[in-house]
Amino acid sequence: MAAPIEPRVVAEGVSKWFGALVAVSDISFDVGAGVTALLGPNGAGKSTMLRMLCGLARPSQGSVRALGRDPRTDTSVTRLIGLVPQQESVFEPLTAHRFVALAATLHGVPEPGAAAARMLETVDLDPTDPRKLPAYSKGMRQRVKVAQAIVHDPHVLVLDEPLTGLDPRQRADMVALFRRLGSEGRCVIVSSHVLDEVERLGSQILVMSQGRLAAAGDFHELRALMDDRPLRVRVRTDRPREVAGALLEGGTAVGVRLDGDDAFELDTNDARALAHALAPVARDRGARLFEVHPLDADLEGVFRYVVER
Amino acid sequence: MSASAIRTSARGSLAALYRLLLRTQITVPRLVGIATLGALSVIIGVFARWDSDPSQAAADAVSSYGLGLVVPLAALWLGTSAIGDLVDDRLLVYLWLKPVPRWQLPAAGVLATATVVVPLAALPVAATALAAGANDVALPALLAASLAGFAYAGVFVAAGFWFRRAAWWGLAFVLLWENAVANLAEGSARLTVVGWANSVLATAPDVEVTPSAGSATVAFIVLPAVAVTGWLVATWRYQRADID
Repeated sequence: MAAPIEPRVVAEGVSKWFGALVAVSDISFDVGAGVTALLGPNGAGKSTMLRMLCGLARPSQGSVRALGRDPRTDTSVTRLIGLVPQQESVFEPLTAHRFVALAATLHGVPEPGAAAARMLETVDLDPTDPRKLPAYSKGMRQRVKVAQAIVHDPHVLVLDEPLTGLDPRQRADMVALFRRLGSEGRCVIVSSHVLDEVERLGSQILVMSQGRLAAAGDFHELRALMDDRPLRVRVRTDRPREVAGALLEGGTAVGVRLDGDDAFELDTNDARALAHALAPVARDRGARLFEVHPLDADLEGVFRYVVER
Repeated sequence: MSASAIRTSARGSLAALYRLLLRTQITVPRLVGIATLGALSVIIGVFARWDSDPSQAAADAVSSYGLGLVVPLAALWLGTSAIGDLVDDRLLVYLWLKPVPRWQLPAAGVLATATVVVPLAALPVAATALAAGANDVALPALLAASLAGFAYAGVFVAAGFWFRRAAWWGLAFVLLWENAVANLAEGSARLTVVGWANSVLATAPDVEVTPSAGSATVAFIVLPAVAVTGWLVATWRYQRADID
């Protein structure tokens, strides 16, 4: 009897360059069953990395193994991989059911029409909808893409920004679906540039920044590291002096700098504590808050901090 | 999986790809455009009826307009879009990541292109001869146009894999290579599809067709070989290209 296939994806020293542009630089990791989030800002090289994991692109250097085989040269391994690509384009003349049934047919799934209908229902879409795909909303198309990626029950599921365009309820449903697929023993790799999205997806995380693997491991440890970093926030209020003073006195701010008559910038080591304290402090002093704007909260800033640590 | 199951699965995937490409290729503007080219060919045939030698006039119309423009332009329009549109729209990813032999997508592209080109372009080219009253020219014209349609389908499907904006590259190929080079010097027609298609047309009785590449027998080998070469080149490219 053949040994069961272990759902595992391994990258060893993988680099990819396009001419002088280095998109991915010397990345190694080994991920198995469960959900692994690939986090990084736009342009970090996530999509290029995911394309190489599926075999769509050949690494310029290093190697990728999916389920123990080279997905670039071994066509049979594609039977066990599902991909939700980042691009929004879909086959315009097709209905959702025909699109998913096409994927099922090409994967050799028995009764592709019935399988397609089941998968569309799984992602909360009507398999009898006669509309062509261009008539679907962005969120609906995104769910169709997920359905076509899982219709053949893959061992490895690669999802490139799959939550884009979904409303909060749909996001929650999709996250639950990905977690279920992971808990059933599949290797699910999900890319995102949204930190909160990743938090809900799973515990394992790979952080990419500027083509490199900046961090890898347990999400909660990484999140704590990110939350602990100093943060600079600009606050616009009609009583900047009073509010800034109270925050400094309460220890929420570790430094303040007034900026004209209606604003100040503060440094804090605890973003969550600031979020809880700011509104009550302003209310107690009769101040009105016009704007609260983190100055370095973009992912690039977060990653820079993580990488520098 | 047993050998017969694999064969059945391969046939099923080829048929699925063929149907998909046919659906994506057939758009109203394309059908109207190609049908208009074909209709113009038939109208030219009607005018040829009043020529002192209708058979020769029909052969000239079929050669210069039908085989020189209608068939290659129809194949260009459809062939470059068969795969080229998937590349440009970044849809190839949905097909590449399937356990389907790589030769099937280019094959489906060539077959889908020929499926539209033969009825919409080759039949009107044959009808041009009938409209001219040159019934003896009609069958050679149909054979020549159909074989040329297949050959061009192979060339342009491969071009769709290789070039961005393949339609412009193909237009230059049709106008400069197929029409200019074919008439450049004696023997240069052997380097063109239209030259070999003319060789088939030249089997019609009592007509002279220029430029002609050689014997019709060789043309029956060369034209399918061009289609097969295009398909193989496209397959080679598909196997090696990074898919976006």
